[in-house]
Amino acid sequence: MAATTRVDDPMDPLEALRIDASSRIAASATTSDLDAIEAETIGRQSLIASARKELGTIEDPEERRERGLRINSVATELSDEISRRRLDLASAERSAALGADAVDVTLPGRVPGRGSVHLIHQTVDEIVDIFVSLGYTVATGPEAETAFYNFTALNIPETHPSRLETDTLYLDYGDAEEEILLRTHTSPMQARHMESNDPPVYVVVPGKVFRSDSLDATHSPVFHQVEGLAVDRGITFGDLKGTLAEFARRFFGPGTDVKFIPHYFPFTEPSAEMYAYTNGQWMELLGCGMVHPGVFEHVGYDPDAVTGFAFGMGVERIAMVRHGIRDLRALIDPDMRILEQYR
Amino acid sequence: MKLTLRWLREFVAIPDHIDGQHLADIFESLGHEVEAWRPLEPGFEGVVVGKVLDVAPHPNADKVRLTRVDVGTEELGIICGAWNFEAGAIVPVALPGAVLGADFTIVRREIRGVTSNGMICSEAELGLGDDSDGIMVLDSDYPEAAGAIGTPFEMVVGLPDVWFEVNVTPDRPDCLSVYGLARDIAAYLDLPLREPLIAVSGDGPPTDVRVVIEAPDVNPRFAGRQVRGITVGPSPHWMRWRIIQAGMRPISNVVDASNYAMVEFGHPTHAFDVDRLGTRLGIRMADQGERIVTLDDQERILAPNDIIVTDGTHPVAIAGVMGGASTEVDATTTNVFIEAAYWDPASILVTSKRLSLRSEASARFERGADPSFCAMGADRVAQLLEEIAGGAAASTAVDEDPGSLSPWTIRYPLSETPRILGIELDASITASLLRRLGFGVEGDDPLIVTVPTRRPDVRRTVDLVEEIARLHGFDAVPDTVPQGPGLGLPFREQRIRAIREIMVGAGFHETLSFSFLGARDLDTLGFAEGHPVRSGIPVMNPLNEGEGIMRTTLLPGILKSAAANLGRRIPSVRLFEIGKVFLQGAGKLPEQPDRMAFIIAGAQDATWHTPGSEPDVFDGTGMWQLLADKLGIPHASVRAARHASFHPGRCADILVADTVVGTVGEIHPSVAEAFGLTGRVVGAEMELVELLIERGPWQYVAPSTYPPVIFDLAFAMDESVPAGDVLAVVTRAAGPYLEDVRVFDVFRGPSIGTGRKSIALALRLRAPDRTLTEDDAGPVRRAIAEAVRDTVGAELRGTV
Repeated sequence: MAATTRVDDPMDPLEALRIDASSRIAASATTSDLDAIEAETIGRQSLIASARKELGTIEDPEERRERGLRINSVATELSDEISRRRLDLASAERSAALGADAVDVTLPGRVPGRGSVHLIHQTVDEIVDIFVSLGYTVATGPEAETAFYNFTALNIPETHPSRLETDTLYLDYGDAEEEILLRTHTSPMQARHMESNDPPVYVVVPGKVFRSDSLDATHSPVFHQVEGLAVDRGITFGDLKGTLAEFARRFFGPGTDVKFIPHYFPFTEPSAEMYAYTNGQWMELLGCGMVHPGVFEHVGYDPDAVTGFAFGMGVERIAMVRHGIRDLRALIDPDMRILEQYR
Repeated sequence: MKLTLRWLREFVAIPDHIDGQHLADIFESLGHEVEAWRPLEPGFEGVVVGKVLDVAPHPNADKVRLTRVDVGTEELGIICGAWNFEAGAIVPVALPGAVLGADFTIVRREIRGVTSNGMICSEAELGLGDDSDGIMVLDSDYPEAAGAIGTPFEMVVGLPDVWFEVNVTPDRPDCLSVYGLARDIAAYLDLPLREPLIAVSGDGPPTDVRVVIEAPDVNPRFAGRQVRGITVGPSPHWMRWRIIQAGMRPISNVVDASNYAMVEFGHPTHAFDVDRLGTRLGIRMADQGERIVTLDDQERILAPNDIIVTDGTHPVAIAGVMGGASTEVDATTTNVFIEAAYWDPASILVTSKRLSLRSEASARFERGADPSFCAMGADRVAQLLEEIAGGAAASTAVDEDPGSLSPWTIRYPLSETPRILGIELDASITASLLRRLGFGVEGDDPLIVTVPTRRPDVRRTVDLVEEIARLHGFDAVPDTVPQGPGLGLPFREQRIRAIREIMVGAGFHETLSFSFLGARDLDTLGFAEGHPVRSGIPVMNPLNEGEGIMRTTLLPGILKSAAANLGRRIPSVRLFEIGKVFLQGAGKLPEQPDRMAFIIAGAQDATWHTPGSEPDVFDGTGMWQLLADKLGIPHASVRAARHASFHPGRCADILVADTVVGTVGEIHPSVAEAFGLTGRVVGAEMELVELLIERGPWQYVAPSTYPPVIFDLAFAMDESVPAGDVLAVVTRAAGPYLEDVRVFDVFRGPSIGTGRKSIALALRLRAPDRTLTEDDAGPVRRAIAEAVRDTVGAELRGTV
């Protein structure tokens, strides 16, 4: 075929262009070299472009058509070669650039601010959440409290030793008609909550409490308790045992053993202390009991109509046992080396 | 209460298979916490009871004697250096091969030419007391030993034994005695309790002390008996040994007998020397300022709520608390009156606390001794004095009963058991449980229960429920788990947790400080006299000066916390605290608002990628903005302010709308230094109340998908113009399409002029429904420029 003859004709300038351009494309080293080759060969000012312009001067339609197809074929071929070569070169250039961008990834990273909620509050939240899941809500109350709510409403007699200044911190406040003190337990909220809510009451009360104790490895003038109260028709000592055992299992793990030992609190009867077996020992976890009818009478509940149980636990001790803290003072130490351990 | 198993066995036949651990478990399940227990083993081996047959001088030594001792199986020649015995004495003999203490082995040995085949022992050598002056002579201490020659000596002194320390709860005065605990054990084991064998000879003449009770309401029962012809001296070993096991110190036979009887039966007694007292005793309340010299030779000033015993006129004892020196029993005493009374518990508590005179006796009276045991209590001591002090008890006793304290009854409907405990117990089981504890029970349902006077804790039905539960066993009550109504975690609690999480996310650690301040803390903060922060509520009985005032601000606590870290070379500190402050208020209680404080101190460390930097006020204001954004607080802002504790030029009030809720800024350098902090320290304190308001769910705004118009504006203005004002004006004037405005440069220089600054803003406008063009942006730029010029007097740099 004539076309074939022409293709093979080394003297054909188009063929010369194709061969020359093809080898230059293959030899190009950078994408900008390639850009220059593209402009020279198939760009607006290129031989291909001028060949296209010259097409109009060919009079024989057949020859013009043949020539046009030939030009397009060369242009397409070169354009494809350029595209392929560009991809290759771009990839190589990206690789080179990334290589140059390499760093020592073992240098320390940028750590965003890393803070922590205090262990006491983490522990309180965990305790509270277990009771919330059992249908309880949360109440909080004043830390500076009246002697009435802290003692009298809880059936604690006027002469009880805990009322003395050796045990309780009193405030110089008000007209002295009613003694104001720093609550010695979270139990005053039992009375306050029942006064302002009708039964049924299922509530836990986390908070700070105060005692006239000097700070040492096991005592602190300020510490935290979580109080609990369930008052309803038909609440029994079995409910108390079941609820608190369930709490211990959720807090310490499903297999946790508990035992209830009779005890004495003025505001519950019967009263008990619950121990949980954890870390290889029986730990005194909380005090509890059935709400004393005298407490119901103080808040205007009918002790013949409702029954209830109450409990209170010291948060510091629970946190200490759980995390292997031997000295209570660690829990009030602001040392960031301690706080950072709180995760 | 400290006691031993053998002592308990005097009142209840505890079976042999019940060992120390088992008994400890029983105590515990009865509600008597066992503080400690341990086996009491003899500190010797190979010691037997011997009888000294004869005593002769040593041929070659003056200070020792030769004895011949019958040890049951043989007669041994033993050389002894003690002189407190003669032939016929019954003594402990360590045979050759015996071991005393850990490793002292007795061997046959020759002493100056004569062989000694063992050793006659003293208390101290046997680990049975302090006495090392002579050997133990058992004749009077352990009369029964005379019939037991050759038996192991430990059997004579009652070893081995098991020692317990039991914490008796304050509601159970009846258990502050061996007898009382034995009653609980007997009830638990369903064994009989042995009645106490209290009897006096009554060989002496009648008691001639007469008692007049002028205060029957605090002394409803008073008993006593006189014992004449006693000889005061040391007690026999068996009594001293028990006194030691009970945790007390042997003193003399009169004192020891009283203590022994108190530990045994729980009733404290007091012995008066009748020859010094006379024959009259009066009971009355003290007069204000009346004085008495007590047994410890201290003069005590009395108050009208102290009960006193008088000789008819003058005080001779503070009733139930401590005796007086003037009638004290001493070595010459021969004639005593043993007082055993019931004193009003509350009065005893108040007096003993006020005088700081708390004793084993006052502890029992303040919880409530058994009024019906008074006469027996006095007689038990009289009996002991007859046994160990050679006395003769009077043929009559004093027993005044003006208060007529007698047992009371409680109706017990059987339905109370299931109502409170959740289990059913029938009448016979219930009655049996109560009878085992010594309650009288009659009737079927309700049971009519008679409560003995030793149980002041049992007053209402529910107290009987506890007794039933205790004895029946808590384990017998099946566990059940009621579900509450599920009101969930209140918003306030959720919100406080959210605030904590925001702070933690920003790199802050939470701390907890005590709720107290010292006066010096407030001085250091720099507040002027009269400032509300300085009128903190005093603690009336603070533990120390530094904790004398309730905190009115969280700042000192958190400043100290930061300083503690910097002092320990921990360089970069970010702390926060949430807690109450205590302020003077109009109500019955102090105002106790919740607050949060935070602090940033110490250069943030340089690392290989970030140069070190010092915190400044903008770290603080930025935290406020973060909190406001995350908590959805509308109209949160700051404005320049001055507060004593803060840097005068780098301090701001924190506002929600027009309400100031706190302060943020750099701590005043002199305040920071006073707390031991160096460099710029950023602090803030804010009320939580505004942060805890429930504002309903936030509402979605769909982001526009159209392209924005972005442009910058720079304004020149006086230094005094707050950037916040400029931003507020710009935000208002920019209209509805403003998506973002940011300060990207603050510039000062000659081109702006002295005392002036340039603030450059980047704005992004975007419409929800179309592409904005220059036709939209132009008017906005002009409106902003105009508003800024008119409102804050700042000039646009360049053209609109």
